Amino acid sequence: MRNFHVMWSKYGTFGILILLVLVLGLLSPEYFLTANNLTQVMLQSAITILVGCGEFFTILIAGIDLSVGSMMALTGMVTAKLMLAGMPIALAILLGGVIVGALLGAINGFLVNKTGLHPFIVTLGTLSVYRGITLIISDARPVFGLPQEFKEGIAGWIWKIPIPVIIAIGIALLLTFVTDKTKMGRNIYALGGNSQAAWFSGINIQLHTLMVFVISGICSGIAGVVMTARLGAAEPLAGNGFETIAIASAIIGGTSFFGGKGKIFGVVMGGLIIGVISNGLNILNVPTYYQQIVMGSLIILAVFVDKLFSLKKFSMKG
Amino acid sequence: MDILVDMRNISKEFAGVKALDQISFQLRAGEVHVLLGENGAGKSTLMKILSGVYAPSAGTIQLGDKTYTHLTPKESAENKISIIYQELSLIEELSIMENLFVGKLPSRKRFGFSVVDYRFMEEKARALLKKVGLQREPSELVEHLSISEKQLVEIAKALAADAKIIIMDEPTSSLTMEETNNLFAIIRQLKAEGAGIVYISHKMKELKEIGDRITVLKDGKYVGTRNIQEVTTDELVTMMVGRELKDKYLGGHRVSSDSADVLLKVEHLTRADRKVRDVSFELYRGEILGFAGLMGSGRTELMTALFGADKIESGCIVLFGEEVKIDSPYQAIKLGIGLVTENRRETGFINTFEIWKNISMAKLIKESRLGGLWGLVSQQEEKRLAREKQAELLIKCASVEQNIVELSGGNQQKVIIGKWLLADARLLIFDEPTKGIDVGAKSEIYKIMRRLAESGKGVIMVSSELPELLAVCDRIIVFKDGGIKTILSSEEATEETIMLAATS
Repeated sequence: MRNFHVMWSKYGTFGILILLVLVLGLLSPEYFLTANNLTQVMLQSAITILVGCGEFFTILIAGIDLSVGSMMALTGMVTAKLMLAGMPIALAILLGGVIVGALLGAINGFLVNKTGLHPFIVTLGTLSVYRGITLIISDARPVFGLPQEFKEGIAGWIWKIPIPVIIAIGIALLLTFVTDKTKMGRNIYALGGNSQAAWFSGINIQLHTLMVFVISGICSGIAGVVMTARLGAAEPLAGNGFETIAIASAIIGGTSFFGGKGKIFGVVMGGLIIGVISNGLNILNVPTYYQQIVMGSLIILAVFVDKLFSLKKFSMKG
Repeated sequence: MDILVDMRNISKEFAGVKALDQISFQLRAGEVHVLLGENGAGKSTLMKILSGVYAPSAGTIQLGDKTYTHLTPKESAENKISIIYQELSLIEELSIMENLFVGKLPSRKRFGFSVVDYRFMEEKARALLKKVGLQREPSELVEHLSISEKQLVEIAKALAADAKIIIMDEPTSSLTMEETNNLFAIIRQLKAEGAGIVYISHKMKELKEIGDRITVLKDGKYVGTRNIQEVTTDELVTMMVGRELKDKYLGGHRVSSDSADVLLKVEHLTRADRKVRDVSFELYRGEILGFAGLMGSGRTELMTALFGADKIESGCIVLFGEEVKIDSPYQAIKLGIGLVTENRRETGFINTFEIWKNISMAKLIKESRLGGLWGLVSQQEEKRLAREKQAELLIKCASVEQNIVELSGGNQQKVIIGKWLLADARLLIFDEPTKGIDVGAKSEIYKIMRRLAESGKGVIMVSSELPELLAVCDRIIVFKDGGIKTILSSEEATEETIMLAATS
């Protein structure tokens, strides 16, 4: 049982992904297993992975960020407006995507720290607030006419690889470095494992909580820019409901909802699993509505499996 | 005399590891049967078999005239077996009386519906609380009670279930002397009423006072059963650890009073919440300074304030000749202060971390910048250093890559000590460092503390176990009502002088 648990936590999600690919490959070899389709899966998964990586950190400290979808829309909108106002593209992305994303995340973190409320409540509030701001500054209308260089530079291709995929891989690698090689990363794991003990080991809880939400904001900001480039327009209602997918990718990827456990690699696997499932269901002509049912069921199943193993582990001592 | 419980040749395996090997255990009506053994000896496992948590791999359990191969929790309860765990199992958000009757709330009919009969429940609860000596209203929420009060509620809960077989797992670990005496009075009454009590504790003095028979386990094996009157403490320790416990009196050294040897000087320290007021003392090089006092007297609160975990309102702290301001544990660690907290599980270690990660935590913080945000980690180096501490402190584990929850209490405590040593702490505060730890590991921890003091580090020890304080410390400060009542030299300090100062 113990060994199975270790194996599961290390390779479980990867195994599931392989299994899914094999099953879909057998069911539909002529469509699913083509290079074209697999690239498409990766492209579709790129945004999920970007947002999921940020969500991962908030779940790691036994919190959550429900405002990711609204942050995507707001950052995308600000970036678009800045570009239309004549700001150089790179600067607009940096300011509208990254800086605004960080700022929105910082507001979440600040509120969590100062009110002492659970992040669920705080981000449920800002989910609505940020969406409202987006609707106000856009007058509830999509923003078109973005520069071609922006669309091609962010949503285009380098050789045969879509640029969003490269961005997602880059961010995932960077955040893997943060979790595995930096003190901040280690401290965040400690905070998620036992915040009291972390405090008594010298970890500044509020500072690290703030950073966690800033990371989530930046990831949402980058995802917002990529989404805007792919759509070719900034939609005020873009990213609506994206928190479900972000949470799902982190949870399916093995991040413990109880805090302290998880890996960025798992989130990437989780994102790909979601991508493969929705792509597979499309190929098998399953209507989109059913995909939502599958997604929701997977979240519950993944948390249940995690809980099962956690309980087993703690009842081992005698 | 009636035999209430007869466990025969009980074995239990966990994933191929023998936790219990052919253990036999009898409990008679009207006796207190002490179960003694180091942590990991199998006491808790044996009792969990009796309470229906685990099924034994082999053996039989006879209760009255019924024989079982294993018990379910329900069968255990039906046979009036009640267990009071070391980690309390009350529901914090419910009232005392609801906790007492949880699962079997008294009811009455109202408009044809069965509703909870609160008045009846409150009456019964009040009687039970009176019996255990807890002065609280039955309707108060459990979360507002202190640890020792919760312990009393647990005992009342066993009484509410009309238990005939009561298992108590270290019931006095958080009780004051008075509360302990009160508990013993309850136990004697239960005995007189024909109940049998299994009593698990490491406190030798206590066992002698309350126990009738004693069974010693070691490494999951049965060592022997004796009448308490016919066995000495030294014999018991030998049975338990298989070796004589020497070095019992490490403390009592003459303390330097040279001002050049003052490692820590605290003047007029007052906490923002006033739980500690106007405290002044000095810690000298080479000594272990003890802090005695009742629960809630402010000892722990002084230590957490010195460590920066709680706010200081006024006062002055001079550490190694330098006046310092400490406003967070982060700062305290940077200044070279380490705190082994009172409660390992809650504030001592990260239960999701491996041994090596727990050991390296404070060092990483100490060598970091920007409030712990800035800096890199090197797993290879950390594991190497953790292995060094493992060897130095004799931490028993298969590898430093094991998770810390897999270790016994004593070894977990050593990991925490290792964390502070690796961070090169020059002032180490030990708050109840041997709580719930077996005798063998206790003596090792005393030795580590003495070694640290001799190597020129400041060492402070808070303990509620007077024999331990007297054996280990060179001077003892007695705390009462948030302040220092008196400071006793090793010549002046006895259990009597300390208790007198702490209570009068």
